[in-house]
Amino acid sequence: MLWVDKYRPKTLDKMIVHDDIAENLKKLVTEQDCPHLLFYGPSGSGKKTLIMAVLRQMYGASAEKVKIENKTWKVDAGSRTLDLELTTLSSTNHVEINPSEAGFQDRYVVQEIIKEMAKNRPIDAKGKKGYKVLVLNEVDKLSREAQHSLRRTMEKYSASCRLILCCNSSSKVTEAVRSRCLNVRINAPTEEQIVKVLEFIGKKENLQLPSGFAARVALQSNRSLRRAVLLFETCRVQQYPFTSNQAIPPMDWEQYVSEIASDIMQEQSPKRLFMVRGKLYELLINCIPPEIILKRLLSELLKKLDAELKHEVCRWAAYYEHRMRLGQKAIFHIEAFVAKFMSIYKAFLIETFG
Amino acid sequence: MNMDMDDIPNPDELEWLESHALPPEEEEDFDFYYPEEEVEQHQPQPPSPPTKLPEPSSTLLSNPLILPENQINRKKRIWSENNTSTTVDSTSVEVPQLIEKSKKSRLPTAETEIEEEEDWLRRSPSTENADTTPPAPIVHEEKFISRYASEIVGNFIAITGPDGNRVYAKMDQVEMNDNSLKTLSRKGYASGLIQEPINVLIDKMEQEAFAKALQASSESPESMIHHEAPVVSEKLWVEKYAPNSFTELLSDEQINREVLLWLKQWDSCVFGSEIRSTNDDVLSALKRHSSVTHHQKVSDTSFTSKNRRSPYTNTNSVNSNNMGQERNNLEGFHGVWDKKARAAGPPDHKVLLLCGPPGLGKTTLAHVAAKHCGYRVVEINASDDRSSSTIEAKILDVVQMNSIMSDGKPKCLVIDEIDGALGEGKGAVEVILKMVAAERKFEAVKGIGGQEGEKGKVSSKKKRKIYKVSLSKPLESFALKVICICNDLYAPALRPLRQVAKIHTFVQPTVNRVVSRLKYICNKEGFRTSSISLTVLAEYTECDIRSCLNTLQFLNKKNEKLNLLEIGSQVVGRKDVSRSAFDIWKEIFQKRKSKRERKSMNGGSSLFGEFDFLHSLISNRGEYELTMDGIHENMLQLHYHDPMMQKTVDCLNILGVSDYLHHYIMRTQQMSLLAYQSSNAIAIRRLISQIEKPNIEWPKSFQRHRMLLAEKKDLLRCWQTKITPFLSRHMSIESFVEDSLSPLLYILSPRTLRPVALHSQSEREKGVLTQLVDKMVSYSITYKSRKSEPLPGTFRHEATSEAPTLAFDPPIDEFINFKEYRSEHIGINLAMKQVLVHEVEKQRFLQQSIVRCTPSDVGVDAGYQALPRQESDKTLSTSAGADAYVENARIANSKFHLGESKLKTSTNLIKPVVNKSVEEDMKLRGHTAAKKPSRGASNFFDRFRKNGGRDSQTHGQSLQKRATLERDSRPLLFKFNEGFTNAVKRPVRVRDLLL
Repeated sequence: MLWVDKYRPKTLDKMIVHDDIAENLKKLVTEQDCPHLLFYGPSGSGKKTLIMAVLRQMYGASAEKVKIENKTWKVDAGSRTLDLELTTLSSTNHVEINPSEAGFQDRYVVQEIIKEMAKNRPIDAKGKKGYKVLVLNEVDKLSREAQHSLRRTMEKYSASCRLILCCNSSSKVTEAVRSRCLNVRINAPTEEQIVKVLEFIGKKENLQLPSGFAARVALQSNRSLRRAVLLFETCRVQQYPFTSNQAIPPMDWEQYVSEIASDIMQEQSPKRLFMVRGKLYELLINCIPPEIILKRLLSELLKKLDAELKHEVCRWAAYYEHRMRLGQKAIFHIEAFVAKFMSIYKAFLIETFG
Repeated sequence: MNMDMDDIPNPDELEWLESHALPPEEEEDFDFYYPEEEVEQHQPQPPSPPTKLPEPSSTLLSNPLILPENQINRKKRIWSENNTSTTVDSTSVEVPQLIEKSKKSRLPTAETEIEEEEDWLRRSPSTENADTTPPAPIVHEEKFISRYASEIVGNFIAITGPDGNRVYAKMDQVEMNDNSLKTLSRKGYASGLIQEPINVLIDKMEQEAFAKALQASSESPESMIHHEAPVVSEKLWVEKYAPNSFTELLSDEQINREVLLWLKQWDSCVFGSEIRSTNDDVLSALKRHSSVTHHQKVSDTSFTSKNRRSPYTNTNSVNSNNMGQERNNLEGFHGVWDKKARAAGPPDHKVLLLCGPPGLGKTTLAHVAAKHCGYRVVEINASDDRSSSTIEAKILDVVQMNSIMSDGKPKCLVIDEIDGALGEGKGAVEVILKMVAAERKFEAVKGIGGQEGEKGKVSSKKKRKIYKVSLSKPLESFALKVICICNDLYAPALRPLRQVAKIHTFVQPTVNRVVSRLKYICNKEGFRTSSISLTVLAEYTECDIRSCLNTLQFLNKKNEKLNLLEIGSQVVGRKDVSRSAFDIWKEIFQKRKSKRERKSMNGGSSLFGEFDFLHSLISNRGEYELTMDGIHENMLQLHYHDPMMQKTVDCLNILGVSDYLHHYIMRTQQMSLLAYQSSNAIAIRRLISQIEKPNIEWPKSFQRHRMLLAEKKDLLRCWQTKITPFLSRHMSIESFVEDSLSPLLYILSPRTLRPVALHSQSEREKGVLTQLVDKMVSYSITYKSRKSEPLPGTFRHEATSEAPTLAFDPPIDEFINFKEYRSEHIGINLAMKQVLVHEVEKQRFLQQSIVRCTPSDVGVDAGYQALPRQESDKTLSTSAGADAYVENARIANSKFHLGESKLKTSTNLIKPVVNKSVEEDMKLRGHTAAKKPSRGASNFFDRFRKNGGRDSQTHGQSLQKRATLERDSRPLLFKFNEGFTNAVKRPVRVRDLLL
């Protein structure tokens, strides 16, 4: 197993990062009836880990005996019947699904499937907990309609079912849903916290850590714990007795984005834009989410930019990201941003250098 | 009343109305009849000269007759006989004309009315303009008529014509009374009261009309012919004037010649060994046409003047004045002709595909050309049954029945409208393809050597290099000559055919050619038109000759004139063709330098026209998303002037808006909003359209991107399901690609792993290997030989290009295989990979065996081997009395106790075996990392150190033990890989294997 999975804390007690949240959650689960929970925070901050730990706290070890199922659901949607295929991950007491997998039909997932699941009380209700847990991933990708249908379900079946929602950004979860949940914000771990984790792992693996090395890994990790641990292991594999100035391999796609950025800085013309488009397509094809591409591209561009332009460029990046989320074809909007940047930058160059 | 003025379209009347304050009542009448009136205005003028007009009136004036009122009906009937127009029209229109004319005349009103009425029938609009006198008596007249009809409903009058049509006239009683007073006083002022009662007047009029009709029929026979001509010749002009010979063809010369050439290439195999020499008229026609096209490039005017002559003379006599210049062309062309037609045998494309918008003469060309070359045309069009079986039979008919046919002409199959019906049209395409393929196969078997040289020569001329199919003697009658005709070249059904066929795309003939032809036809039909209006018509129909002719014939039959200004409302309707997506993109990217553009220079109205044109164009097509994709795809390839990227930014913004709009529409299903999509495209057009011809490509990249993305996501998802859910639940696709992929690739190819034999590895290396195998197993990654690697991946080792390469099985390395990007990943050695494949397989097998030997009631067996350490620790403590050995092996399930005793007993037996097979031990050692020793348990291992011997690492040893135990939990462990052995198989006793 990779270290990420190997040293993933299994219980709330063993949390190194977010130990305060873990403690609160523990109290919540053990002492009182647990409300619906909404975990939100950037990727790699430990939401899933916390959720798993909460489940374990609720149901004990049996929560970890999970099986994966690919089920097809027949949903009656007015005039026609839809076939929805969903992957569920379930133990005896909980079901984990990703409703946004159904795409624009997610509404039916929420209306039919989740309702169905929520209705049924767990069979072995003789145990202490009389409710089961539904874990919904990527709630922020749910359409507005689906979220609206979710809120009634949340209230109506709260006696038999708890929802744990997980998403990256709470802003895309409707107010109504948010107010029905206990919102748990999971921050990206700070670099110090990451260093702490890395040192812990180092100790477990009997590694000698040169001073400052863990900090460097943490710096490179973009405050994502997952990435930090993976990078750490990569370094371990590449060169063991660590040296403090050891090269930490970059992410390939980030490298590629920075190549794109330098392409943009070199020349500003429709022709160059066409070339950039090809590269952007490459990134998109390889499953890199367009928002992340845009974000990364912006930060790469900002690195090389004059201070006076930074503000404007950021503004436009935000503008185009907003549009991108409203629309469907991400490439249009990323490209529009690149074009806008080219335009701004070129004007700037002409102004300063004549 | 005044507000009605605007509605009156006739300029003559408008003018008149403006100059005179009309009594309101009359205006009402205008209002009422104006639709019919308008039609009447366009009626072609009867040829009788206006000078005749006074004659009948005067005669009638001299003998006024008093007739009963009911004769008016008769009168009307006569009119209707004279006129081709309906009686209703004439009655309704009659009134105002009377008004106008009577004003002019100084004669007593009754007489003037009669006269004017007749006059109106043949009047030319200009006479009306001279009217100055106010309308005096007609009000009375009109009232009379209305009374006569005796169908007054409130303010409305219904006038029933002889054919049963009923017309209502609106009346205003009060106004009329005023007017009648006025008119009375006027009359007194001018010439006194009417002497004769109105019925007399009407009779007079009737008489006059009758006389006039007689006169007209006797005096002007040509006018009669003119009227009857469309009635007699029911044949459509389109057919009547369809080109009969090659020289008359209106389509582009280049294409004509190509088609003819293609047909001529068959000569050698169709007409036997003697090549039918091209007769003189063909050659002369061809050379003339070739020169025509040549000239066309030089000067358009000379072309038209000549062209006008050449098609219509319909003879093959060569124009003497052109002959001189053409001689040179003839030489060159003749050379080409000889080389191609004589030498080449059958053409290398079996099928000819003509495509182009409707009405350009594709079918005509096919027929004419085939006839010209001496074929008999067999046509299959959309009206025929086109299922594949019928078509096959038909084609076989065409091909095989040659000798039986009486006329002895070979046949040529023309499949019209092949793109028409998708399901059935496909049948036709399939059959054709089958035939072509069959012939090609036949040829491949025969292997014709003699014509190889020719082949090279010919195919070098063609763009597409396709095996030339030449037919040998036995199959000579099988020569399949198919001309397919379609409108949309890119219809999905035609995709396979496109690759086989020789394609000719029809372009619009120049407006001049069309106009000259139309003019010729109009002259022949005696339909008077101006070339300007014909030009407008041709432009309007986009040079669709069929549509032009149909329109003209229609107008002719209605006795109307082609009106230059109102062609839009006059012509039956605009062609409602949805153009291909390419046309739309071209329209968007290319600025028109034609008249349309010129018109748009002079004001906003034509700018609106352009907008309107584009809007209808794009909305007719409908596929907005595709349109936008196409714009996006091709936009940056245009050479628009944009130094500051401002235009590009604007365009992309617009595209973004359209994307947003589209998404919104799809989400909310408000399809009516789609109407606004076209304006986006038009806005882009205004920004970046260029005069030069754009090079437009089909937008593939977005679809490709979408497809590949889905593919890769599926791949990842598939992989995820293979990993134990315990791990995969933490790994979403996005986060994996974003965070985990690159490190994982590094981790999976450690640099410290030297490619040496297993037994010569150091302990550390063995540890590394063990860990690596463990990781690969737990993430279900392995290496797999990839068959053919088109381009050596950036990631993998360079030396692997010739050998069967080993790549990651879920090809995760491809996710960083960006274009023009070299990653720093260094794959591990091929030999090492092979070792790894072996190890991983073995490991996986072992794990499965573990799972299998655990009782099946642990339903969640998939997650079993990944059970967390804490839990297993717990089991350790709980099962205190259990055998420590089993605990160490960390079989967390207590039910394993069943097999426990057996294991224990067999341990001693097994150990020597284990020690013997050293290499196997090492392989086994790399057991799952999940079973790595806890510190608490490590001292327990020491007990077995002496047995394990070499291994310093305790956990490795324990794993080894456990592995052997696992193996021995069943007496024998077979692994038979069918493909692996090439040894001689012979029966072996099991006990031999057990030693």
